[in-house]
Amino acid sequence: MNDRSIYPFPAIVGQEEMKTALLLNVVNPRIGGVLVRGEKGTAKSTAVRALAELLPGIEVAAGCPFSCDPARPDALCPDCARTLAEQGSLPSETRRIRVTELPVGATEDRVLGTLDLERAIRQGERRFEPGLLAAAHRGILYVDEVNLLEDHIVDVLLDAAAMGVNTVEREGVSFTHAAEFVLVGTMNPEEGELRPQLLDRFGLCVEVRGADQVEARLEVVTRHAAFEAGPETFRAQWSQAGQDLARSVVAARELLPAVRVPEGVLRQVVQLALDSGVDGHRADLVMVKTARTLAALDGRREAGREDVRRAAALALPHRMRRKPFQQVAAGRGKVEQLLARA
Amino acid sequence: MRAEGGFPSPARRRIFPLAALAGQERMVAALLACAVCPEIGGVLLRGEKGTAKSTAARGLAALLPAHQAVSGCALGCDPQGELCPRCRERAAAGALPVEERRPAFVNLPLGATEDRVAGSLDLEQAIRHGARAFQPGLLARAHRGVLYVDEVNLLSDHLVDLVLDAASSGMFSLEREGLSIRHPARFTLIGTMNPEEGELRPQLLDRFGLCVEVAAPGDLGQRLEVLRRREAFEADPEEFSRAWGPAQAVLAARLERARALLPAVALADDLLRLCAELAQEACAAGHRAELAMERAARALAALDGRLAVSEEDVREAAELALAHRRRMGRPPEQEEPDEPEQNGQEPEEPEDSGQDQGQAEDQAAAPPPSGQDRQEPEPGDQDGEEAQPPPPGRPAEQVFAPDEPFQVRPIAFRQDRRPRLGSGRRSRSRTRSRSGSYVKSRQSEQPTDLALDATLRAAAPFQNRRSRAGVAVVIERRDLRQRIREKRMGHVVILAVDASGSMGAGRRMAAAKGAVLSLLLDAYQKRDKVGLVAFRGEGAQVLLPPTGSVERASVLLEELPTGGRTPLTHGLALSYELLDRELRRNPDALPLLVLISDGRANVSLHGGKPVAEALDLAADIGREGRLRCLVVDAEEGGLVRFGLARQLAERLGGQYSELNGLRAPSLVRAVREALA
Repeated sequence: MNDRSIYPFPAIVGQEEMKTALLLNVVNPRIGGVLVRGEKGTAKSTAVRALAELLPGIEVAAGCPFSCDPARPDALCPDCARTLAEQGSLPSETRRIRVTELPVGATEDRVLGTLDLERAIRQGERRFEPGLLAAAHRGILYVDEVNLLEDHIVDVLLDAAAMGVNTVEREGVSFTHAAEFVLVGTMNPEEGELRPQLLDRFGLCVEVRGADQVEARLEVVTRHAAFEAGPETFRAQWSQAGQDLARSVVAARELLPAVRVPEGVLRQVVQLALDSGVDGHRADLVMVKTARTLAALDGRREAGREDVRRAAALALPHRMRRKPFQQVAAGRGKVEQLLARA
Repeated sequence: MRAEGGFPSPARRRIFPLAALAGQERMVAALLACAVCPEIGGVLLRGEKGTAKSTAARGLAALLPAHQAVSGCALGCDPQGELCPRCRERAAAGALPVEERRPAFVNLPLGATEDRVAGSLDLEQAIRHGARAFQPGLLARAHRGVLYVDEVNLLSDHLVDLVLDAASSGMFSLEREGLSIRHPARFTLIGTMNPEEGELRPQLLDRFGLCVEVAAPGDLGQRLEVLRRREAFEADPEEFSRAWGPAQAVLAARLERARALLPAVALADDLLRLCAELAQEACAAGHRAELAMERAARALAALDGRLAVSEEDVREAAELALAHRRRMGRPPEQEEPDEPEQNGQEPEEPEDSGQDQGQAEDQAAAPPPSGQDRQEPEPGDQDGEEAQPPPPGRPAEQVFAPDEPFQVRPIAFRQDRRPRLGSGRRSRSRTRSRSGSYVKSRQSEQPTDLALDATLRAAAPFQNRRSRAGVAVVIERRDLRQRIREKRMGHVVILAVDASGSMGAGRRMAAAKGAVLSLLLDAYQKRDKVGLVAFRGEGAQVLLPPTGSVERASVLLEELPTGGRTPLTHGLALSYELLDRELRRNPDALPLLVLISDGRANVSLHGGKPVAEALDLAADIGREGRLRCLVVDAEEGGLVRFGLARQLAERLGGQYSELNGLRAPSLVRAVREALA
C-alpha cells in the first residue's frame, strides 16, 4: 500500500478511546495490545494503518526476514550474526513500522513459519522459512476478526504475543525467534466471543461504534469525501497535526522510564483489581503500565489517580467477564460503578 | 535460516527470580519438590489466568544447578548415569569427554508436531550421507532439565500421552521411520492449565504427580507486594536480579543439598501407612497418589535438610498429590445412588461471586431453589439483578429464568454409533479438510494434504540409490505422507427446546433451561456451533441459526417464554432441516440434535395424530442415521409417566437422559468408565 492511500490518523473523527489505546501501545508496547470490539465500518483498520504511517521509522538489518535491530548486536538472528562476524558490520536500512496482517484463513505454517520446501528439495537442507510472526517483529500485528480465527491459531498467536518469542517445534523445524509486536485485534461480538483466557491476553480493550450524532456522522462523510476527491491535498492539510502527534509519541517514549507511580496510586490499582474481582495479576500490571504511559503522553513525570481511572476503563471491563456467557458490556457497567465510587 | 536454533530477544532473556515470587508458597514448594525428585512425575499448575504460573516454571529452571554432561551430546547425558545410544557407542570406543552444562529448559509449544516431540530421522544426514541418524526431539532435549508445557489441556491428547509416558518412566522409546531408539528422558515436567478452557482427561490428570491450584492472593498487602516487585523487575531487570541474588543463592543451595540428601531420606512405616490412608480417604483412583505422596514427602523433608520424614511433610505432600485426585463423597466401591455427586474440584464451572456454587450442585434431585420465575423477558444481564416478585395467578405465557448451569457429563458418540457415555473426546476429532492443527502424518499414495517434512524423511534414506537430476531429493509415490490434523471444533449442535405449557408446571422449564444452559456451556468449551429451536403454541421457531456465539444463545434462552401447546413434530423437522443445511455446507461437521421435551406432542404438523407423527419422524431420522441425537426427558416424575421421551430417543437411535442425568458424575466414575 502506498502512502497516498492512507487516511491521516488525526483526521479520524471521534473514536477517541480507540485512538488513545493505540497510541498508548505504540508508546509502550509492553501494555500488551488492544482488542477493538465493534461493528464493521468503524475505521478500525484505517486507524491502525494510519498509526503505523505516523510513527518514526525503525533501523533494520537490510533484507533480514526478522527485522533485526543493528543497534542490538546481542540479539541478532543467526544469519545477521554471521554477516556481522564475517564483514564486521551489518548493512542496515530505515523503514517504516510494518503492519502485518493475519488473515482469518491463515494456516499454522504461515503464522509460525515452516520448513523451506524449495531448499529441502533442491539442496537437501533443512531451513526455516519464517512466518507472519517473524514479519511482525518490531511492528504491529493486525488480526481482523480475531474471534473467527481457528482456535489453535489463536492459541499459538497469543502464546507468542505473551512471551515476545515464537517457538517453532514442528515439521522437522526447531527454531526460536524474537516476536515482539503490538497486537491489535478486532472483532464483532455478535459473531461470537473470544474465550476469557484470550480476552485476558489483550492488554486493553475498547468498544467502538459508529458516530451517533448527526454532526459527527456528517463530519465523517465530509472528510472522507474530501480525502477521496484529493488524497494528496487532504493529507497535506493534516500533515502538521500528524507531525505533532508523532512528536508527542517520541517524547512520551523518552519520558516513560522516568515516570513515577506513587505508592498511593499503586494501592488504588490493587484495590480496583480486587473490587472488580478479576482473575490473576495481569489486570494490575496492565493498569499500572497504562497509567504510567498516559502520564508520559501528557508530559508528566508522575502518574496520578486520574490516570488510573482512565487506565481502568481500558484494562478492566474485558477481564470481568467471569462466565463464558456474560457480556463484556456488563463488565463495562460495573467498572463505571467502581470508578464512580473510587 | 538453519532450521535449528534461533535467537531470543534480550528484553525477555532476564528471568524473574523464583525467590522473589510473592504469595505462591505452595506452588514454589511443589516445583522445588519435583526438581529434587523428578520421579514424582511433574507438577500441574492449575489456575486462573495471569497468576505467575509460567514465571514460576521458568524461574525454577534458572535455579537448577549446572551439572556434568557428556560434551557434544544432544541430550546432555550424565556420564555416571544412563546413556543414550550414541553416548553408549562413544563410551565403548573410549572415555567420554565431559563438560559442565546448565540443565535445559525446554518449551513444548502448542503448535508442536509429533516428529519434534518424539524426535525423528535426521533429514540432512539421510539425504547427504544416506545415513539413518536420529534427530533428537524435545523429550530428548529435556533430559535432566525441565519440560514445560503451557496450556497442556489444549495440547493434542496424542502428544500429552507421549510426554506423560516419558515423564513417568524416565525413558523414551522411538520406533519410526526405520529408527529404533531408546534413550533416557528424565525431566521435571511442568504443565499449566486454566480449567476454564476445559479439563484434561482424568487419566492424564492422574498422571501428573502433583497439582497446585494457583490463585492470585486476595489480600491487598500481598497483591501490592506482587505488583511492586513486578514493577521493579520490569524497570531494571539486572538490578532486580542483583538485589535478589543472595535469596536466590540460598534457594539454589537448599535445592542442591536436598538432591544430595534425598537418597538417604527415609519414610517410617507408620507414615507410609498414613500415605495410603490419606489416598483412601480422598478416594483417589489407582496407586499413583500414594507413590507421588511418598516421593514428595521425602523431597520436602530433604528440602528442609532432614533425613527423617515428618507427619507434616506427608500432610503437605498429600495436599499436592491429592489436589487433582481427590473425590469427595463415598469410597469408590460403593455405587452412587441417584443423589447428585459433590465434586471435590469444580472443573469448568463458571463462577459468579454473587451466586452460591454449592446450591447449584445440590439442586439436581430436589426442586431447584435458586433461579426465579419472571414474567418479563430480561435482557442479557446476568449480573445478579433483582428478580421481580412472582406474578399473581398463572398467565398463559411465562418466562422462567434458567436454573444455575452445571457441568455436563461428557457426551461422546462413537463412530460405531454404540451409545456410550464414557469419557469422550468430543472436542477433538480428526478432520479430513485442510484446517485444524497438524499433529502427525501417515503414508498415503494420494495425499490431499501433503506432510512435506514427513515425506522428505521417508524419501531421504533412499537418495543414494535414486538417480538425482539437478535436485537433492527424488520423491517417489511410496514416500508420500498425508498430514493428520486435529481440530477442536466439530459438532454442530441444535438444541430443540420444548417451551409448551406443560413444561411450565412444577418449574420444569427453569430446570430445562438450566440444562440447556449447561449444554451451551459445554458447547462453548468444546467449540461447538450451536443453534436454538423452540417449539410451543402453533409451531416451532428457529431462535438462532447455528453460530459460534454461545452468548447470543444464552440470552435468547433466558428470554424464551413458556406456554401453549406442543408442536413437537414441527420442532423436530425444523431442527433436522437446520442440521441438514449445515451438513451440506460442511460435510465434516458432526451434527448433534439435542431434544429437550417431555414428548407430549399435541399439535400435528401434517394432520395426523401428534404423538404418532412425532415418533414416525423420529424413526425416519433414526433410520437415515446421519444425526447423532440426545433426548433429554423433561417429564415430571410421579405416578403417571408416559415415557414418550424414551420412545423418541429409541426411534432416533440416540441417547436418552433425564434432566438430572446430565450432570457430570464424579471423576472417579468417569475414570473407571474410561478405563473399563
